Amino acid sequence: MSTGCYIYGIVNADVEVLPQARGVGDPPVPVEVVSRGDVGALVSDVDVDETLGRPEDLLAHEKLLDAVVVDTPVLPLRFGALMTDRDAVVQKLLEPHQDEFADALSELAGRVQYAARARYFEQPLLAEILAENATAADLAGQLRGRGADESLDLRQQLGEIVSREVEARRQVDTEALIQALSPVTVASAVRPPTHEEDSAHVAFLIDTARETEFQDAVDDIGRRWEGRARIRLLGPMAPYDFVVTAS
Amino acid sequence: MTTAVQPAGGGGDVIDRPSGSSLADVVDTILDKGLVIDAYVRVSLVGIEVLTVDARIVVASVDTYLRFAEAVNRVDLAQTGGKGLPEVLEDTKGGGHGMAKGVAKGAATGAIEAAGDTVRRLFDHDDNRPQRSSQHVDRGEG
Repeated sequence: MSTGCYIYGIVNADVEVLPQARGVGDPPVPVEVVSRGDVGALVSDVDVDETLGRPEDLLAHEKLLDAVVVDTPVLPLRFGALMTDRDAVVQKLLEPHQDEFADALSELAGRVQYAARARYFEQPLLAEILAENATAADLAGQLRGRGADESLDLRQQLGEIVSREVEARRQVDTEALIQALSPVTVASAVRPPTHEEDSAHVAFLIDTARETEFQDAVDDIGRRWEGRARIRLLGPMAPYDFVVTAS
Repeated sequence: MTTAVQPAGGGGDVIDRPSGSSLADVVDTILDKGLVIDAYVRVSLVGIEVLTVDARIVVASVDTYLRFAEAVNRVDLAQTGGKGLPEVLEDTKGGGHGMAKGVAKGAATGAIEAAGDTVRRLFDHDDNRPQRSSQHVDRGEG
């Protein structure tokens, strides 16, 4: 077995990982911190002959970082970062970028990320579109009662109109969500939709001191959208959407 | 005043608050976000095979259009109270996931299923996600 050093994220050098924390790999091994100056990296050994990316690996990566961010700032690395050994992590990653990492960590101190995704309820959504778009309503009328194998063109036309209408609503609702939450968030990052009936998918960076306010605000929007769309809120999580690699 | 945000299953809450990320959520988050190490380190990187998940972005396609058209047809049935109503209600109960079966009938299903299978293997451990094949991968959580 040849070993590599898997890297989860960058933390302050004084961070200690609980001995029971486990990382990627099969079986999972303990996670440790290697450090240089003020910054450290969360690492664990991994067998480079293995294939990484099992569900357990993905979950372990995020679970570790999401647990860490509750206590201390962390710069999450994208899944799959691997170096030859710990010396390489210290000398090639931490040392040359200590200041940059330390600055980013201090900027993220006391902050966590949440991800909100909202999805329309299909029936009310489509009913609304038919009520507001005469062309769609007309096409729907023409198609009523016809078999699935008939009138492919018409169905395609109708579907395309509906798709555009959904997209337009998604833009409006995404903006509305961001605006409504802006008083209680530090930053927002729009994520691509993961489903064609998503009404919004946005990551938010918030101060933990305002976490309850934020959650209340999301709940308010949930009430406003009740029956039309439903919000799913994930977090607190590490600030994946707010760390950007310098080019 | 009630507690604004409750964990899922609390009942009566207006938003979903899962206690942890599902695999689908994790894929959203850690595969294309976060610092990329090779921008910092150009040596000492170890090559390793990392399973990737493709086709995760929703792309409007003919498949999507036909699915929407079929869904619209069901709205009509619901509005007119026609024969298909019980079926419509059945489909609506799940909060909009009633289209799953319609997709499988799509013309281009073969290739899409093949692509979807790779992804679905990743998700096999995920709990009760709806089985559907589509142009995009539904990481829906029910």
